[in-house]
Amino acid sequence: MTLDCAPARDLAVSIKDLDVKFGVGDNAVTALSGVSVNITEGSLVTMIGPSGCGKSTLLRAVADLVPISNGGLTVLGQSPSEARRQRYFSFVFQDATLLPWRTALDNVKLPFEVGGGGGIRADPGELLELVGLKGREHAWPDELSGGMRQRVAIARALATRPKVLLMDEPFGALDEITRDKLNEELLRIWRETGTTIIFVTHSIAEAVFLGESVLVLATNPGRVKEFLPVPLSHPRKLPVRDTLEFVEITGHLRRSLEEC
Amino acid sequence: MSGLRGRTPAVIAAVGLICLWQLIVWAFSVPTYMAPGPVDVVIAFRESAGILWSNFWPTLYEALLGFICGNTIAILLAVWFVHKTTAERAFYPIAVFINTIPIIAVAPILVLIFGNGFAPKIIIAGLICFFPTLVNMVRGLKAVSPATLDLMRVLSASNGEVFWKVRIQSSLPFLFAALRIASTTCVIGAIVAEWIGSNFGLGALIIEATYNFRSPLLYATVFTAAMLAVAIFSTVSFAESRIVRWKAPEVH
Ligand SMILES: Nc1ncnc2c1ncn2[C@@H]1O[C@H](COP(=O)(O)OP(=O)(O)OP(=O)(O)O)[C@@H](O)[C@H]1O
Ligand SMILES: [Mg+2]
Repeated sequence: MTLDCAPARDLAVSIKDLDVKFGVGDNAVTALSGVSVNITEGSLVTMIGPSGCGKSTLLRAVADLVPISNGGLTVLGQSPSEARRQRYFSFVFQDATLLPWRTALDNVKLPFEVGGGGGIRADPGELLELVGLKGREHAWPDELSGGMRQRVAIARALATRPKVLLMDEPFGALDEITRDKLNEELLRIWRETGTTIIFVTHSIAEAVFLGESVLVLATNPGRVKEFLPVPLSHPRKLPVRDTLEFVEITGHLRRSLEEC
Repeated sequence: MSGLRGRTPAVIAAVGLICLWQLIVWAFSVPTYMAPGPVDVVIAFRESAGILWSNFWPTLYEALLGFICGNTIAILLAVWFVHKTTAERAFYPIAVFINTIPIIAVAPILVLIFGNGFAPKIIIAGLICFFPTLVNMVRGLKAVSPATLDLMRVLSASNGEVFWKVRIQSSLPFLFAALRIASTTCVIGAIVAEWIGSNFGLGALIIEATYNFRSPLLYATVFTAAMLAVAIFSTVSFAESRIVRWKAPEVH
């Protein structure tokens, strides 16, 4: 299921010679320079790189949250802004960004109430069940743990049945045990929904465990260092992290990141 | 709200203080015109009930109208400020300036302009509510995290949707913090305005009772004014508990 053995699949995200600059004149910062990468539909790509290398910027460019300075970027063949209006993608932020005045269920329903509310409407109750929060529908966000809040955020992101799920360090603020559990659940959700996922992380182990391929970015300016397929079979369970194969891949990535 | 058990210490303390007050008045034979005891005040409440009532209503009317007008204008201005940064830059300093003028100093000016009727009292009650609400409402409307705004953008939410679904909601705890302050200060505003020039209202009754050495009536009037403030405060708190159902982060 790696990139090269699936040429027939359509492209979910296609990025060609992408530049993103912030600011003007002397204060201009080149966050990304000449980034080219193709992500096929249904794949799970993790993105890793040193802090400040432009991982968030790349994800935000796909999500039409930062403007592109140069180059091409399409989501299912559409421009990012058109894809946003079509609700082709959803975004999961590092903080759950739940609205505290809405219950878990009403937070999941938010996408139906704004932006024209168009597109597909998944059943919010089923989504909360999918993320393991059955019975907590009417809880307020501040009654939920950090991990539960992030599950609600994932359910909300899935509410419009997006074709692409963009996740920026969604489990970065969680403890390791919760993070492991959510990693396994994310893989299950990915298999059940068939959504393309682009997942930014700081953890090499998380990147390898989740990713069908790992996109490594280098810094100054932000550029693609390598796009590494992960030849571990699916479905993956947590013990795979103790296998020699897994350790070899993480070792390779660690060396690769040191050169960045 | 704590239950009956939670309030017991407060009730005991209050009753104790009242008894102490009566004891001091008796022990030192303080003359009634100087400081009446609780018993005298209770008698004044009974004897002057008619006068108290007839002066209670105008003050309630002024305080309430001032509360409503002052806060409404403050809320609308805050909304305007948040939408138009230039408006905020132009008028916020003026609002700060108005806030620095002592209300007691403005009262005679307003009485000169608007005469002896209800108008100057309502304006002063409104002015005193205005500033805390403006400041808190502006803060509340802006207290939306950039990530939440990103979320709304990804959802292609319109400006109106961001305003109604996010900004207004996030401002409510801030707004109610200001309204709780305003609920007591609007009564102060109305009474101060009545001191300057009025022949009705609790403020006027306070002045009259003081000049005539009717101290028990003076005390009864002061208690009536305090109960008015408590009533408005409780109404605001009740509304808050109904409208803001979620646990808001502490608003200072
Ligand atoms: N809105 C912005 N305005 C100006 N510069 C920005 C902005 N957003 C990001 N940058 C700059 O772009 C570069 C890449 O930032 P980005 O947030 O994408 O890094 P990152 O890889 O996500 O880092 P981290 O791992 O710490 O989250 C940084 O140098 C940052 O200072
Ligand atoms: Mg980042």
